[in-house]
Amino acid sequence: MSAGAGNEGEFRASAPLSLGVELELQLVKPHDLDLARGAGDLLARLGRRKLPGAVKPEITESMIELNSSVHTSCESLLEELNVLRKAVVEDAGVLNLSVAGGGAHPFHDWADRRIFPNERFVAVVQRYGYLAKQFTVFGQHIHVGCPSGDDAVYLVHMLTRYVPHFIALSAASPFYQGEDTSYQSSRLTAVSAFPLAGHMPFVADWAEFMEYYGKMKSFGIVASMKDFYWDIRPKPEYGTVEIRVCDTPLTVRRAALLAAYAQALAAYYLAERPREPVRSIYLVNAFNRFEAARFGFGGSLIDPYSGEKRHVGDDILAEIARVEPHAARAGSGELLAELAGVVRGGVSDADWLRARHRERGALADVVRDACDKWRTHN
Amino acid sequence: MDLAFLPTLPPAVSQLMLFGVLLLCGLAAGEALRRYASLPRITGYVLAGVLLGPQATGLLDSDALFEARLIVDLAIGLVVFELGSRLDFGWLKRNQWLFAAALAEALFCFVGIHVALVYFGFAPLFAATAAAIGTASSPAVVLLVQQELRSEGQLTERMILCSAVNTVFAYVVLALLLPFLYIEEKVDLGTAVLHPMYVFLGAAALGFLASRFLLLAARWFGKNEDRQFVLLVALVVATIGLAHSLKLSVVVALVTFGMLSRNFDSAHVLLPVRFGHGGQIFFVILFLLSGASLEFHAFEVAAAAVVAAYVLVRFLGKAAGLVIFSRLSGITARQAGLLAVSLVPMSGLAVVMVRDTVTLYPTFGRELAAVVLSSVVVLELVGPIATQFALRRAGEASPEA
Repeated sequence: MSAGAGNEGEFRASAPLSLGVELELQLVKPHDLDLARGAGDLLARLGRRKLPGAVKPEITESMIELNSSVHTSCESLLEELNVLRKAVVEDAGVLNLSVAGGGAHPFHDWADRRIFPNERFVAVVQRYGYLAKQFTVFGQHIHVGCPSGDDAVYLVHMLTRYVPHFIALSAASPFYQGEDTSYQSSRLTAVSAFPLAGHMPFVADWAEFMEYYGKMKSFGIVASMKDFYWDIRPKPEYGTVEIRVCDTPLTVRRAALLAAYAQALAAYYLAERPREPVRSIYLVNAFNRFEAARFGFGGSLIDPYSGEKRHVGDDILAEIARVEPHAARAGSGELLAELAGVVRGGVSDADWLRARHRERGALADVVRDACDKWRTHN
Repeated sequence: MDLAFLPTLPPAVSQLMLFGVLLLCGLAAGEALRRYASLPRITGYVLAGVLLGPQATGLLDSDALFEARLIVDLAIGLVVFELGSRLDFGWLKRNQWLFAAALAEALFCFVGIHVALVYFGFAPLFAATAAAIGTASSPAVVLLVQQELRSEGQLTERMILCSAVNTVFAYVVLALLLPFLYIEEKVDLGTAVLHPMYVFLGAAALGFLASRFLLLAARWFGKNEDRQFVLLVALVVATIGLAHSLKLSVVVALVTFGMLSRNFDSAHVLLPVRFGHGGQIFFVILFLLSGASLEFHAFEVAAAAVVAAYVLVRFLGKAAGLVIFSRLSGITARQAGLLAVSLVPMSGLAVVMVRDTVTLYPTFGRELAAVVLSSVVVLELVGPIATQFALRRAGEASPEA
């Protein structure tokens, strides 16, 4: 996913419906299962390998980020994620580190985290203080390619209705600071704390978005697109729309399933253009988002077009059925069916973590199980 | 009026008062050194011990040192158990070059010191014994400096692992040398072989039994950090006591206990135990008493050149072993050099080991004992500073500590 050298007003068109995934992973000490400070050493070691995509640091030294390259098919995406996964697990093992997915570490003390020593992260700490260390949460970002800026704006609006889906499907952070939060995803609270969190304003097209962005820049509120901590965000340098709301799942397979869903939704909207964006998408967003983070599949979702209230799980199944033809065309029909199976089973990654806790008794064991799951599942 | 109810003056110095005063002096010295000289607290405790000990003011005389032996044993016991539990078999299996590096560090150090001492004219057998004693890096110092600096990272993990490996190495080599030392003393062959075997293997067996018991008991008590801490202390104390009465090696028993408990806990019944506030008391006392036990008069007997060689070759041997295997085991040569520096501390246990050796084998010689004891003096003072330096330089110490 190479960044374009063009000016920022330009949306660098990329192959429509191409996919890219970023996964933030936890680095854990096997001896007490707390977060470790291993990013620098691990990256140095991984640097000696020839790997597809990239592995990058994140804000604190207990996190690393896997970056896939650009894919059109989910199968090849999954294959590549597995190559990266195995390389990271192997090199981490040599350094006595374990790796896990999941949206947050169940019992780490955020104050113990150390900031990764690069310019950008140091600047973030200086600006946001303790929020930076509290931002030791682990998410999945999905990039979907768009043919133009206007399409990107359209997609951002249309996909916002699906934010609760992505939250419920990926939720994997039920524990925080040693306690059961009773949420499916407690990670989103850390994201929401930032002043520039939220969603894109209700702009009509790329030109209007650029006007807004220009104004924000001239006010000095943002310096680049990266400063917007929105759930869904256009990324002009890549020519994509970026969904940033998912917790990192416990396996790469689930990450690929989520990417498949995103791709199918984008295909549906860009190809069929079934409706135009309406303001009520954003009126119901906060409520829907909360319900999904708190209750997952069983939470309530308000349809912004019809005003109907239904369960998140039922809504997901209905929408999966709607976009299934597009998934089939992209070759990910089976993956989408598998995702539907997960929803029907009603057990999210957060539920899995809770079940492990009930069985094992200690959160350290939950982390250990999460590490084992990451290490062994393709 | 009958004033018999009043105490006699001056009041007799009770054990409790002594204990309290020691704790206070040690704590103050540690804090002063940290605040005004940016040195590790351990150095403060040691210096306080030196000042209070028989060498200086004599407030802590050898009787008091003897009485406090129980606390020292407990403190060492907890440290050595913790050390054993950080000898991670899984890591050594995943990174076999690391195992090679740790062994090389111990081996090169041992061989280096041995060769140096033989060069200075000491008998090979005794040189080997003195070399074995010097191979161990003080577990108490490395664990405590790490804790104080809240240090985390590759160097920290490897430092603790290497300290565990070189301590075990030292004890194994000593066990192997004992028969020969015995023979030097003209003891019969049977005793010469059986005694060391008993001391070493018996201790390992005791450690093994204790680990099985701990795992069973921890399963019953459940996953509660407070309860498991008390359980641990109870078993460590009992094991020390049993090792003493059965005349087995306390250190070997406890390292084995720690090692097997952690590595064979397949059901993960044990919680990681943090010594926290309670533990600090023992460590202040431990280092204070180590400081008081330092034998400065050894410098009168030992030649400065020999002591310097001992200390230097010890470091160079460790550095060589670690640097040679640095790339293969996954660190840079610079990190390996700093790792060697972090392993400079020498255990106060060495004093005990020397005393025991001299008692059993008087031919060991005053001079060799003096060399080792002088080195301990130097390294007890310099060691913690070296470890602190290495961890800071490596960027692993917490920025706030």
